[in-house]
Amino acid sequence: MKFIAIVGTNAKHSYNRMLLHEMQARFDQAQIEVVDIQNIPMFNENHPETDPEPVGQLADAITAADGVIIGCPEYNHSVPSPLKSVIEWLSYRVHPLAEKPVMIVGASIYPQGSSRAQLHLRQILDSPGVNAQVFPGNEFLLGQANQAFDQAGRLQDQGTIDFLTQCFTGFLDFVLMHQQFSKGDA
Amino acid sequence: MLLTAIVGTNADFSYNRLLLQYMQKHFKGLAAIRILEISQLPAFSEDTPADMAVWRFKKAIQLSDGVIFSTPEYDHSIPAALKSAIEWLSYRSDVLKHKPAMVVGTSYGPQASSRAQEHLRQILASPDCDAYTLSGNEILIGNAAKVFVDGNVTDRQVQTELEAYFGNFVKFVDSIAEGEDGMSMHQPYLDDAYITFPTGRLSFREVQQIFSTIPFEIDLIDHNDKFSWFSNKPDREHVRSVREIGETVAECHPPKALPIVMKIIDSFKDGSQDSVSRPLIMHGHRVLIQYFALRDVDGAYLGTIEFTGSVEHILNFYEQGAWSDAASGASQTDSTSGASAHDAPAAEAPADATPKAATDTDSDATSGASQH
Repeated sequence: MKFIAIVGTNAKHSYNRMLLHEMQARFDQAQIEVVDIQNIPMFNENHPETDPEPVGQLADAITAADGVIIGCPEYNHSVPSPLKSVIEWLSYRVHPLAEKPVMIVGASIYPQGSSRAQLHLRQILDSPGVNAQVFPGNEFLLGQANQAFDQAGRLQDQGTIDFLTQCFTGFLDFVLMHQQFSKGDA
Repeated sequence: MLLTAIVGTNADFSYNRLLLQYMQKHFKGLAAIRILEISQLPAFSEDTPADMAVWRFKKAIQLSDGVIFSTPEYDHSIPAALKSAIEWLSYRSDVLKHKPAMVVGTSYGPQASSRAQEHLRQILASPDCDAYTLSGNEILIGNAAKVFVDGNVTDRQVQTELEAYFGNFVKFVDSIAEGEDGMSMHQPYLDDAYITFPTGRLSFREVQQIFSTIPFEIDLIDHNDKFSWFSNKPDREHVRSVREIGETVAECHPPKALPIVMKIIDSFKDGSQDSVSRPLIMHGHRVLIQYFALRDVDGAYLGTIEFTGSVEHILNFYEQGAWSDAASGASQTDSTSGASAHDAPAAEAPADATPKAATDTDSDATSGASQH
C-alpha cells in the first residue's frame, strides 16, 4: 500500500514533518512518501491560467496513491494558509482528493496538539469541492511536540507510539474497506 | 471614524469587493472606509521576513479604528489568501489585538459564505489575533449576481439589514474607544507638579507645551529599542499615532528603512557615534532629520532621540544673504568654538558647557557629512 504524507506547513522547522517521518520509519505495512508544499504558490483562481507544475505533480502522486496522510499544524485556531492553499488547488481544476481516504494527524508545542485546526481540516476535506473520505475518529493530537522526539527524531513515549500505531492500523483497515466498497460499487 | 475593509480574496473579480465598495459609498457619512486588497501580499511563511507590502498592510490596520472582513467561501472555509493575510497580521504582531472587527460576506449561491464566516470568527478569536469581533449581526448576502447591480444593492431587505448592522458596528467601535479613554481617565495623574532641573523649574504643563511649540518634532526610542514617546507638535512631518507607542524599532519602521535605523542605533549603543544627520525632501520641502544618542550624565545609553523639522525658513534666510556680513570673519570664532550663530549668548557660554549637539550640527552643516 502506498500513501502520500503532506507536511501541512511551509516552515523550515516543523514537528508535523518530524511526525510524518516517524510514521514513514515506523510503519512497514505501507510505503509512505513525505511531501513538502513550499514549492506550491498561493492559490489564485485567475493566475496563472493553468495549474502550476508542482500542483500537477502532487495531484498525480495522490491519484496514484492508496491514501493521503496530512500532518496539520495549527495557526490561529485553524489550518495554516499554505495547506489551505494546496487544498484549494486540489479542488479547483483537478480533484485528486475526491473519494480518496485521508488520515489527519497533527502536532503542536502546546497541549492541544492542533485540535482545532484538525476539526477545521475535517470540515474542509468534507466540502463538496474536495469530497475526500476522511478517516473518522482516531484523533492523533501530539501536544508538547518539542518534548516528544529524541535526538534521532523518533517518538519517545511508548503510550504515544501505541496510540499512533492503533490509529494507523485503523486507517489501513479503512483504506481496505474503502477499496473493497469501491470495487463492489463498480 | 476610520475603518479598513479587507477584500477576503486575491481573485480578479469578487462580489465581496463589490460589497465593500458599496459599503464605502453608502456609509460615507458614518465612517471613512479604506478598502485593502490582499493580492499584493506574499504567501505567509514564518521563515519569510515581512516586506513593504506586509508592513503597509499592518500599518493601515493598526491606524484604523476598526476592520471589516469580507470573506468568500472556499471549501467551507476562508480562502487561503485571506488566512495568509491574517497570519501576517498575527505573527509577532498584535495589530488585531482588541481591534473592533466585523465579518461580512457574499456569494453567488444562496449560502453567502456562512461556514467561512463561522471559521473566520473562530480564527479572529484565537489568542494571537484577539480581535473584538462584533457578535451576531451576520451579513450573509446570497445570490450576489442578482443583489449587486451597477454598484448598488437591488434587494431592499439586504440594504436595510446592512444599514442596521453597520450602524451597530459603528456604535460598537465607539463604545470600545470610549472604554479605553474612560479607563485612562481613571488612572492617577499629576496635574500641578514641577520638575526641578539644575537650571530651573518647569511645570508639567510647561514641559508639555514646550515640546509642542519648539519648531521641530521629537521622537524617542528608548534603551529597549521601543518607540516610547513623541512630541505633540502640530503639522508633523512624520505623522505618529499613540497606537504605535511601545512598538519595537522593527515594527515602527518600514523594512527598507530598518537596516539604516538599526545601524544608527547600534553605533549609538557601542559609542562609535553620537549623532547622525539626514537631509531630505518631505512633503515638498527641505527637511533635516537629526538622530542623537541620548545618554545619562555618566554616558550610559538611554535611547535614541530623533529631531525632524523643516529647514526651509533657515535656508530662505541664508539664500537672502542674512549671514553675508557675518561670513567675513565675525562668525569664524563661533564655528571653531562649536557654538551656534547666536553670537552673544554663545560667546558667554563656557566652552565645556556647550552642548555637544551644537558642534555636530555645525560640522554637519559645513561638511554635509554626518559621521562623528
